[in-house]
Amino acid sequence: MKMVELLKMTTRHQRIKFIREAGYNTFLLRSEDVYIDLLTDSGTNAMSDQQWSAFMRGDEAYAGSKSYYRLEEAIQKYYGYKYIIPTHQGRGAENILSQILIKKGDIVPGNMYFTTTRLHQELAGGSFHDIIIDEAHDPNNEFPFKGNVDLNKLDALVKKYGAKKIPYVSIATNVNMAGGQPISLKNLKELRAYTRKHGIRIIHDMTRVAENAFFIQQREAGYERKNIKTIVKEICSLTDGATMSAKKDALVNIGGFMATNDWDVFEEARNRVVIYEGLHTYGGLAGRDMEAIAIGIEESLSDAHQHARVGQVEYLGHKMESFGIPIVKPIGGHGIFVDAKAFLPHLRQDEFPAQALAAEIFIDSGVRTMERGVVSAGRKQNGENYYPKLELVRFTMPRRVYTQAHMDVVAESAAAVFEKRNKIKGLKMVYEPKYLRFFQARFEPLKK
Amino acid sequence: MNKKPTRALAEPFKIKMVEPLRITTEAYRQEALARASYNPFLLTSNDVFIDLLTDSGTGAMSDRQWAGMMVGDESYAGARSWQHLEKVVKQLTGMAHILPTHQGRAAERILYGILGGKNKIFLSNTHFDTTRANIEFTGATAIDLMPEASLDPELELPFKGNIDLKKLEDAIRQHKPENIAAVIMTVTNNSAGGQPVSMENLQQVRKICDANNLLLVIDGCRIAENSYFIKHREKGYENKTYEDIAREMLSLGDVFVMSAKKDGMVNMGGLLCLRDDALSLKCTNLLIISEGFTTYGGLSGRDMEALAIGLTEVFDPDYLHYRIRSTAYLGERLKAKGVPVVWPIGGHAVYVDAKKLYKQIPVEEFPGQALVCDLYVKGGIRCVEVGSVMFGKYDEQGKLIPAENELVRLAIPRRVYTQSHIDYVLDTFDDILELQGKKHGLRIIYEPPALRHFTARFEQIHN
Repeated sequence: MKMVELLKMTTRHQRIKFIREAGYNTFLLRSEDVYIDLLTDSGTNAMSDQQWSAFMRGDEAYAGSKSYYRLEEAIQKYYGYKYIIPTHQGRGAENILSQILIKKGDIVPGNMYFTTTRLHQELAGGSFHDIIIDEAHDPNNEFPFKGNVDLNKLDALVKKYGAKKIPYVSIATNVNMAGGQPISLKNLKELRAYTRKHGIRIIHDMTRVAENAFFIQQREAGYERKNIKTIVKEICSLTDGATMSAKKDALVNIGGFMATNDWDVFEEARNRVVIYEGLHTYGGLAGRDMEAIAIGIEESLSDAHQHARVGQVEYLGHKMESFGIPIVKPIGGHGIFVDAKAFLPHLRQDEFPAQALAAEIFIDSGVRTMERGVVSAGRKQNGENYYPKLELVRFTMPRRVYTQAHMDVVAESAAAVFEKRNKIKGLKMVYEPKYLRFFQARFEPLKK
Repeated sequence: MNKKPTRALAEPFKIKMVEPLRITTEAYRQEALARASYNPFLLTSNDVFIDLLTDSGTGAMSDRQWAGMMVGDESYAGARSWQHLEKVVKQLTGMAHILPTHQGRAAERILYGILGGKNKIFLSNTHFDTTRANIEFTGATAIDLMPEASLDPELELPFKGNIDLKKLEDAIRQHKPENIAAVIMTVTNNSAGGQPVSMENLQQVRKICDANNLLLVIDGCRIAENSYFIKHREKGYENKTYEDIAREMLSLGDVFVMSAKKDGMVNMGGLLCLRDDALSLKCTNLLIISEGFTTYGGLSGRDMEALAIGLTEVFDPDYLHYRIRSTAYLGERLKAKGVPVVWPIGGHAVYVDAKKLYKQIPVEEFPGQALVCDLYVKGGIRCVEVGSVMFGKYDEQGKLIPAENELVRLAIPRRVYTQSHIDYVLDTFDDILELQGKKHGLRIIYEPPALRHFTARFEQIHN
């Protein structure tokens, strides 16, 4: 460690008050009241001394900044996409790309939804269709590539709606909502062959592509001896464009980009980015942020870094398993996903078991986690709740921030809550915003 | 009248970190400009010596702000840095709802996306380029209501940024209050030469809005600079602090949008502040979709920390005096050389009247863009056209409807360049004045459908 950030310790009594004030929603807690913050791995990373020094040479010129060209070069070199547009974060890129490619009534198949991605697809007039393999929805299935696409599901959509109605297939590496699960290169190659035949693009949601590449190296035949850098480049080469939140793999606190190999898409994106984000050579990012991303991309492709990164997640997962806590398997790349349905079998899904569990863990130890279940899934366009098969609490690991001793605290806290799981009550939602309700919804404990 | 010789205006700060600049030759710059299709927005910053393209996000932060960057809390939700920023902005605006955004145009897009729409009308002293684009993008119409006198670049008036109150009332009557989405007051008025708005004008606008039940938006990315002019030009404000004046202005608005990259003294950031609960709720929904969660809105923790500190530094009397006077230094000396400039000099930039300086070039050939190109070739200086490239439109026959004025803006980044750099700019204008017949107009060979000045490509016209 070269720089540390001090943490505040709180008492159980204080934490009961904090979570009540936050409406039993961990998003609404103040960070200073949190001891170990596993809410998200997005933008919570520790930068390296190399990134901090690049930060200092960030060029803040409005147009044609040197830092922009460094970022462009890094993306072209390591990911291989031809044209790039920086954005302030991933959702900025999703917004622009969805608007350009999706027409009203279009169908967007993908390997499981992600909250902001699906919303931008819907706002652009499209509808999302899940084509991930069935194994992904079963938390106990140990299939090594639960991020894979079921080509039969895609083929059924093409037959039903016609390829013209499908502007692109949306492929995430790793699949966040499935528990940080990878897609295999074999599956991606088959998908490429199929989409090429039907003239459909593949757009790559590449926020955790290096973590996906690590799993390919560890699990897929023929890739044992290839380094992560090579695997990442191969993944990208099988797709036509990408959106990226650089706040994950790329080891920064803010930033994203859109990339494409298609000049027309690039030109249209350049015209739109200036309205939403900023001129195309900064896209809403300070020069110094573009520098830090360029270096973070390179650092994220180091085999040693990914080994330590995914290794830490596995350490926590194995420890939880040894306490008998039900978790999604195999263990994913960026966090441990606890199966709240199995943890709290006495609660119905509309009593928000994952939300209740996240609140209880905070009360026990000051560890902040996130609900990924019925609250996150939101409502369908007809107003009904989505009831996802997976009702999870996500323990997400910021990169390079916490030590192994911190992980021990987290596992022991989960175990302590597991001991008295029968006493945990469900919640009722008392405030619900229109979009992305998980961020701001408020709850009260049920009486019974 | 005998005037004491003016003494040097030294900066109320010293340099703690430097950024080396590259010196290029005129021949090199000729080539670089041709590669950039005669649009300086397409130059790489490496090829620019003095960058007066914009004062937006190009300022130098203080050591206190850099220290704040180090304590930035990068937690996704409820970060300490957010609480710090929220507290500072609430104190300044007195508004209940503070939404951070990655920059000003995001705040505008959210707000005008909700208020705008087909058949809606926005009235303003002058809409800035991105403001207008955001409004027109929703299908609404943006109408500028400047007093006739203010359109004369030479006339000396203390508050040339004011809205014409009579025109405002007429417009409300003509379009009916129910069709008017909002009145927007831009302070200072950027497109009109960085000219200030008076408190009195703003108070009158408030009255008119109240009488017609209209929403008043203050677009205040340069509100501290505007406060300086009020204190020094408007009766009754001589003894008030700049911060008090800004607070009083903001107390007259219903909504405050700010690109923090100007008077926020930072390289990235924006704010959307509101009083109304219902409107704020709608804005918050859109914020989360497109910008980020409510406690970071697309900014890193350290950016929020730097902004919280910048918003207090900007009201320092020594800083504001230096800021306004150093801009005036460039403008007054250009005028003394015989370069026609918009008068009086505004807060953040000097605007050269290219219609006069390049009168041999017809407006259809963009005299402002021609001057911008010459300043780059002669001095490596980058600036921007604020004329028919930025605001021109086409009629149904495809003929150019020119902008009101053909200006070139020399925007001064905050705390970046020294007086020697500015003297160098002045010397470059000597070369421009000697050019005489060797000036070339331009024709557009590529333009996008909106905000064309950013990415349009040109070629020189050689007769």
